[in-house]
Amino acid sequence: MIEAKKISKEYRIPHEKPGTLFETILGKERKKTYETFFALKDVSFKTEGGEMVGLIGKNGSGKTTLLKILGGIIAPTSGTCTVSGYVAPFLGLGIGFHYELTAEENVFLYGAILGMARQEIKEKLDSILRFAGVERFKDMKLKHFSSGMTNRLAFSLMSQTNFDVLLLDEIFAVGDKDFIPQSLAVLENYKERGKTVLIASHNTGLLARYCARTLLLDKGSLKAFGNTEEVIREYNTL
Amino acid sequence: MVVRLGKIRSMKKYLNIIRALSTSDFKLKYYGSPFGLLWSFLKPLLMLIILYVVFYYFLGMKVEHYVWHLLLGIIFWNFFSDTTKDVMQSVNAKAHILKNVNVPPFIVIASTLVHSFWTFLIGLGVFLVLFFAFGMPFSMSMLILPVLVLLLVLLTAGVSLLIITPAVRFKDFEHIWDVFLQMLFWITPIAYQYSLVSPPYLSWYLLNPLTRVLVEARDAIFGAFPPLAPFGITVLIILLILLLGVAAFKRHGRTIIEYL
Repeated sequence: MIEAKKISKEYRIPHEKPGTLFETILGKERKKTYETFFALKDVSFKTEGGEMVGLIGKNGSGKTTLLKILGGIIAPTSGTCTVSGYVAPFLGLGIGFHYELTAEENVFLYGAILGMARQEIKEKLDSILRFAGVERFKDMKLKHFSSGMTNRLAFSLMSQTNFDVLLLDEIFAVGDKDFIPQSLAVLENYKERGKTVLIASHNTGLLARYCARTLLLDKGSLKAFGNTEEVIREYNTL
Repeated sequence: MVVRLGKIRSMKKYLNIIRALSTSDFKLKYYGSPFGLLWSFLKPLLMLIILYVVFYYFLGMKVEHYVWHLLLGIIFWNFFSDTTKDVMQSVNAKAHILKNVNVPPFIVIASTLVHSFWTFLIGLGVFLVLFFAFGMPFSMSMLILPVLVLLLVLLTAGVSLLIITPAVRFKDFEHIWDVFLQMLFWITPIAYQYSLVSPPYLSWYLLNPLTRVLVEARDAIFGAFPPLAPFGITVLIILLILLLGVAAFKRHGRTIIEYL
């Protein structure tokens, strides 16, 4: 279950950004001017447990900011949100991967970052590597992997993570024609297991297929929340 | 933000992440370098030779067991200076994790501390092995060393927490810190004895917690327990720095993600 109550996130856009200490000391002489900018403004919604919800909006509409706040990565300027259970934010694939480490070492590192215990990773190691199709390369450094292999490994790890709430940011456009159905199968599986998933995507076909309801963000405000097809129609008229 | 699954579960998860990050940092540090782990001995050893030649031969430093004083000083110093530099560097290097996964910044700081602490412990272990191998005596006061090591770690943790926010916000902080470390190196009795400092400056000189920990550790190695009152002051100064660090980090630590 995800509940957001009047979440706002305000950023300041300084007209002259002081980057160094020296500039800051000099900057004291100047007048500081900045504009405020709301990445999110009074966003409230509530989803049910075990629901797959879509999140749509143009670039810069606040989708990632919303996911980051729900995932506990950044704090909102005002408002509160409640997310029940263990939250796993996936805002990009392969975050935490280190290219100088081998595939197996990366599984342990990334797995820990995703909240898995060492023993649990050990047990799942084989199936993670198999699902990604990289068993033969488990002792190879990740820098020698193709980007497709890296993405598949990341996705495979994600699919093995235990979570109650999953936040996904546009990560389905990875992999070749064989892997995309595989990743969709993972999503299907989440649906059957009754996981709460919030999917941010521009892929309206995907949202229509998996999400009964969708959130529409525009310039930081929640424009609509309801039946996915109706929301997509509204998105298309924006 | 409410995550109601008990603090214990998240603590356990954090410990897992700290372990994984520090293990991989440890591996990465020595991957692809032919001497590998040997560098963690080689670096203090080379530093030892340089300082020994300059101070013992050129400047005629006549201190009994000078080489042991020097080596212990270098090991303590390297832990402090390397850790504070690594903390700044690793928060920047792990920006992509901090910005995209709900791993709080203190985890990255803690894992850097853990990773440096291993290197430090290996160094200290080698020091003690050499110390006894060269026939130096064991004394009961050495049993207080773990307490002094703990104090050094707490001091380093406190300073790391203090500097991390300015280090992320101001790009030139790293240069300032380099110069500050240079200064600190010379106002800490690493290559010399603090008794050489002129008395009028001594009371100020002894406010440096790094000096205090090092002097007390040397005393402990050579059979003298630190007197209670000065030791109390050491503990007090270090706890104060730690509290300042924690307070500063609690207040500003959450915002550093937005500056990365």
